[in-house]
Amino acid sequence: MACGLQRGIAGQAADRYDAVKVLLVDANSERAQSVETDLAAAGATLVIRPSPGENLRDSVARVGPDLVIVDMARPDRDSLDDIRHLSRHDPRPVVMFVDRDDPAFMEAAIEAGVSSYNVVGAALPAVKPIVQAAVAMFRRYRQIEAELEKSQASLKERAIIIEAKSLVMRQRNMTEPEAYRWLRRTAMDRNRRIVDIAASVLARSREEK
Amino acid sequence: MPPIRLGMLRLTDAAPVVLARESGLFAAEGLDVALSVEPSWANLADKLCYGLLDAAVMLPPLALAVALGLRAAATPLLVPMGLSLNGNAVTLAEDLAAPILADGRPEALEAGRRLGRLLAARPKARLAVVHARSTHHLLLRYWLAASGIDPDLDVVIGVIPPAEMVAALESGRIDGFCAGAPWGQMAARAGLGREVVTSAGIWRNHPEKCLAVRADWAGTEPAPLQSLLCALLRAAQRCDDPAEAKELAGLLAADRYVGVPAEAVVASLPGGGPDSSIFFAQAATWPWRSHADWFLGQMARWGDLPAGLDRQAAAREVYRPDLHAEAARALGLPVPDRDRKQEGGHDRPWQLGAAPGPIEMAPDPFCDGAHFPA
Repeated sequence: MACGLQRGIAGQAADRYDAVKVLLVDANSERAQSVETDLAAAGATLVIRPSPGENLRDSVARVGPDLVIVDMARPDRDSLDDIRHLSRHDPRPVVMFVDRDDPAFMEAAIEAGVSSYNVVGAALPAVKPIVQAAVAMFRRYRQIEAELEKSQASLKERAIIIEAKSLVMRQRNMTEPEAYRWLRRTAMDRNRRIVDIAASVLARSREEK
Repeated sequence: MPPIRLGMLRLTDAAPVVLARESGLFAAEGLDVALSVEPSWANLADKLCYGLLDAAVMLPPLALAVALGLRAAATPLLVPMGLSLNGNAVTLAEDLAAPILADGRPEALEAGRRLGRLLAARPKARLAVVHARSTHHLLLRYWLAASGIDPDLDVVIGVIPPAEMVAALESGRIDGFCAGAPWGQMAARAGLGREVVTSAGIWRNHPEKCLAVRADWAGTEPAPLQSLLCALLRAAQRCDDPAEAKELAGLLAADRYVGVPAEAVVASLPGGGPDSSIFFAQAATWPWRSHADWFLGQMARWGDLPAGLDRQAAAREVYRPDLHAEAARALGLPVPDRDRKQEGGHDRPWQLGAAPGPIEMAPDPFCDGAHFPA
């Protein structure tokens, strides 16, 4: 099975370089926009996205891309997993893009949540920069998401601690620093996080009501 | 030691790994196992290939395809254990299911013949399977062909991950699907379709999921692999106990696993019906090389294997009963005396030679009465 880069003779490669048609499959439209820009900069001349509601096999048949870049979280990407096998009457073999010489790159791609497929039959010069551009953008989005999640979580945790602190102040007639120290000491004694102790203080008071 | 990363999909027959995680069987073996619930089989396979997972609840044909390099970079995988028998069903939209089930659920071949007559009088039906290299795809093709339906010409077969099947049926994108539990149940509960044949009706007590591990991980971590097998053997034993089914269904139903009502899960757990999953009995955990032979034979039948591939050698390399035997002996469980058996053709219960004592085996007929000698 054909995998990885298929380099044509130099002249062909130059011609082909101008004609790398990419089908970009990403439900996150904001990210897709950014990826599209980066792909164009990396040498993809035409970036097409599936029509709404269109299944991937139909998209591939309609667009006839050289390369498919797909969000791994999109469940129907399995239909690209050796499409040959399922469509013998419209043979357009699609194989996963694999760079055998660079396993770390492949790992980074999977970790970033992006997968790409070569549509074999087209000579594909230098598709790697295009795939790399997509991977970089997916990775950036993943980092932003993780940071956002973390900051939202810590905001939520802070709100819980503040609420618990004022409850402890009222219940135990403590000052604010005393209440915080009490929460911290309890957390240390029980080998738990302060926010966990704060949450259980609030839960207990809710039960008592 | 870093946690063992074990992948799974939202399916009832992930029961042994979920039970082992939730009831502390992994921990009792000194293992830290991180379960990773993946959206699709291709994701699971990719993550295994690129070392983001060490092990996975896997489809045997997909494990073989990965190991043989049929889909991306060849990645040596080992199958040291089977995880379940049975558990899938073919669900058809109500307009196809109703005439087939008019007088109750017929035998598999009769259901297939009725479907064939319905297909002749309508546009091509679109059926979905969970992956091209799946037990479901091979059993669906087997059944269609045995019923006189050409799987390539008379229907269109596409791929949709199991958890997306119900939505696809509802939107009218497909007319039916073959998937594992609980998705057939979920379609029936939504009034969208009904199960017309179970996978057990196509091949009784067929192998379903297996444990696949990266060969390089197994090589560098032989002790954790043995502990993993021991924990899963204990879990499989417990999963087979109908008295555990309710609690097990509760665990599996949780949002972080299957994420559906427990009643839909319990239907295909042991005790739920004659065609429900089996996790331990009948040597369900033994990685039969004759199962690998059968899967590879069917893949070859439909043109999915390169010519000249030595199938028996591939089965020997990937399926590793020797690894299972070591764990079974450590637990005092019977170890079968062979790694291949005739598949199909056992029409009544039989005994499998094993040490220290034999294992009771149930019949294993195919819907068309075929058998595949060892």
